[in-house]
Amino acid sequence: MPDPGVDRRRVLAAAALGRNVDPPGPTPGKEEPLHAVAGMVLDVTPHMISVETAEGVTERLVIAPWVKAWRGGAVEPTNLPLGSKVIIQAVRGASVVEKIWGDVTRITGRILSITSEGSPGGRPKDQIVELDCGPHRGRRTIVVPYRASGRLRVRHPQFEQGYLFDAIGVREGGVSYAYLPATSQPAYRGGAVPDPPPAYGGTQSRISGTAVWSDGFDDDERGAAYPMLEPLDSGCEESGKSCVGLPYLALGSMLNVHNVCTGRAANVQIVACGCVSGGFCDRCVECGTSPRGRIVELSPASFVELGGDLIKGCFNVRIGLG
Amino acid sequence: MSGSVWGDSVFETIAAAQLPVVVLLLVLGTVAKVVTILKGVEPEGLSQMGPAVLVPERWRARMLLLCAVVELGLAAGLVATSHPLFRWWTVGFFAMSTFVLWELRRRRPDVGCGCFGEMSSAPVGLRSLGRTVVLTVMSVGLAWQDGGGWFPVPDLSWVTIVSALGGLVLIALLSPEIEEVVARIRYRAPCEQRPVAASTALARLRSSSVWQSHAEMLSASEPTDTWRELCWRFFSFSGRTLQGETVDVVFAVYLSGRRPAVKAAVVGANAVIRLDVEGGLEGGAVKPMPETVGVSA
Repeated sequence: MPDPGVDRRRVLAAAALGRNVDPPGPTPGKEEPLHAVAGMVLDVTPHMISVETAEGVTERLVIAPWVKAWRGGAVEPTNLPLGSKVIIQAVRGASVVEKIWGDVTRITGRILSITSEGSPGGRPKDQIVELDCGPHRGRRTIVVPYRASGRLRVRHPQFEQGYLFDAIGVREGGVSYAYLPATSQPAYRGGAVPDPPPAYGGTQSRISGTAVWSDGFDDDERGAAYPMLEPLDSGCEESGKSCVGLPYLALGSMLNVHNVCTGRAANVQIVACGCVSGGFCDRCVECGTSPRGRIVELSPASFVELGGDLIKGCFNVRIGLG
Repeated sequence: MSGSVWGDSVFETIAAAQLPVVVLLLVLGTVAKVVTILKGVEPEGLSQMGPAVLVPERWRARMLLLCAVVELGLAAGLVATSHPLFRWWTVGFFAMSTFVLWELRRRRPDVGCGCFGEMSSAPVGLRSLGRTVVLTVMSVGLAWQDGGGWFPVPDLSWVTIVSALGGLVLIALLSPEIEEVVARIRYRAPCEQRPVAASTALARLRSSSVWQSHAEMLSASEPTDTWRELCWRFFSFSGRTLQGETVDVVFAVYLSGRRPAVKAAVVGANAVIRLDVEGGLEGGAVKPMPETVGVSA
C-alpha cells in the first residue's frame, strides 16, 4: 500500500486545482469486470480451488472444466502443489476461475554475471545468472535451466554481462527459474538508455506505449510503477529517465490505464518508482506493435484485472491522468 | 602574363583563406566528440555513431577519442606552424575520412558519421560525403599554398574575407547537423517533460500574494511535502485556522511562463475550506487541469 502521506497528495492536488478525485479501480465498460485473487493454495479439486489471501481470508472459487493452470508450462489445476502461490483471474464477482498462474515470477534486470557450472542440486548444464534488478529490488540470482536456454537465447542474443534480461518463470523452493523470454532484448547495454525523441509541435491527448507487470509489488497490491518521477520527490535517484518522452508525475498520482488489446480500463495509482522499466526501449507485440516502449509497470493484480496474461508479459496501453 | 600572375595570386588567397574554416571544423569536431564520450560514458552509447562501429565494441570510445586527439593535433599544427607535415597530414586525414565514410555508408547505412559526435547521428548521406571531399580539396589548397601559420590578420582583404565566408557557407550547406541543431532549438520540450528545480517554484511561491495571505496560517516555513505533477509543483504545509482547526495548506505553482499561476487551498480533515488563485498561465486566465497530457509523437 502507498504511504498515507503519498495517498494524501491526490486529495490535496485535487483541492488546489479544483478537480475531482477519482477512486482507484476499474472504469465501467461493456466488458465483464475481471478480478484478481492472489494467495496460497489450500486445497484444489477438479472443480474447486481454495486459496488463503494475504489477509488470512480463505477464498473458494469454482474452476471451469476448460481452465488450465500455468506453472512453468500448462498443467491441470489439480497438479498445482498445495502451498504454492497462485494468482487467479476470476469473473462473476471473483467466484469463477478463468486463468491460474502458479508460483509465477518475472525476472527483469541487468545481467551482472553468468555462471555455467550448473545449478546446486540441478542439472550440470544449467546456468546461474546474477541480475541487478534496480535500486529498489536489489540483486537477484536466478537459474536458467538448460532446456529453456535456447528459447531464452533466441530473444536475448546478447546473453552477457551488462545487457538487459527479462524473462518469466517459476519460483520454487526459494529459487527462481527462467522459462520464457518476456521481451526481445534491447540492443544496448543496461544503463545506456537512448534519449527520447525531441518533442515536436502537436501533442497527443494520451500516451500510447507498453504496459508490463512486475513481481516487485505485494501479492494483492493494486498499483503501478512509473519511470518519470522527480528524484527529489520519490527518493529514487535513478528515476526521471525513460527513452519515451513522458511527463513528470508523482507517487500518489492516479493513472487511467486503458488496455488497447482488451478494451478494459482502470484507474491505477502510482505507488513505486519504475526506474527499471524506464530503461527498456522494447516493443510489445501482443496486439500489433506498440508505438513506444514501457510507459507503466503494473502490479500482477492490476495487470490481471486489466485483462493481461502474465505469461505474455505485456499489452499495448494508453494512459492518461486519472 | 600579368593576368596569370593576378589569377595565381587570387587562387592562393582563396586557398589560404580556407585555413580558419578547416581549423574551425577540426576544433568543433574535437569538442563534439569529447562531449559525446563524456556524456555517453559507456561504449554502447556509441553503437550508432561513425567509424567507431567498424571496430570492436570495447574500442569504440577509444577510437572516437583518437579521432578527437588527431583533429586537435592537426588544428594546433595548422595554426602554429607552416610545416608541410601538418598540411599534408590534414590532406591525408580528410582523404581517409572520405574513404571511411564511403565504406561506412556501404557497410552500415543505418549509422551516422559521428563527425560532430551525437549531433551527427543521421545516416551518412551524400552531403556528409561531399563535406569531407570539400575539406580534402581545401586542405590540398592549403598544402599547395606556401603561406605559413595562422592567417595574417593585418593582410585581411575582401577576397580573403569573402573566400573564408564562402567556404564556411559551403560547409554549412553540406552539414546535416545544422538542421539537427535548429530542430533542437526550435522544438522545445513541453513543460510537462522539462525538469524544473523545486527551489525555483518555491521562490516563485514565496513572492506571490497567495503566499502572503496564507503565511499566518502556516505552522512552519518549510513544506511537509512537495511533489510534481505535469506542469504543476505542489507544496503542502501544516497549518492552523483561526478557530484552531489543524489543516493542510497546499500551494500549486505552475512551472512555465513569466508570471505563472499560484493556487492555494486549505484542506481540513474531510473538506476543502478555502481556495485562492493568483496570476494566470502566461499572463492569461488560469486554465483547468487537462484531463490528459500531451506528449511528443
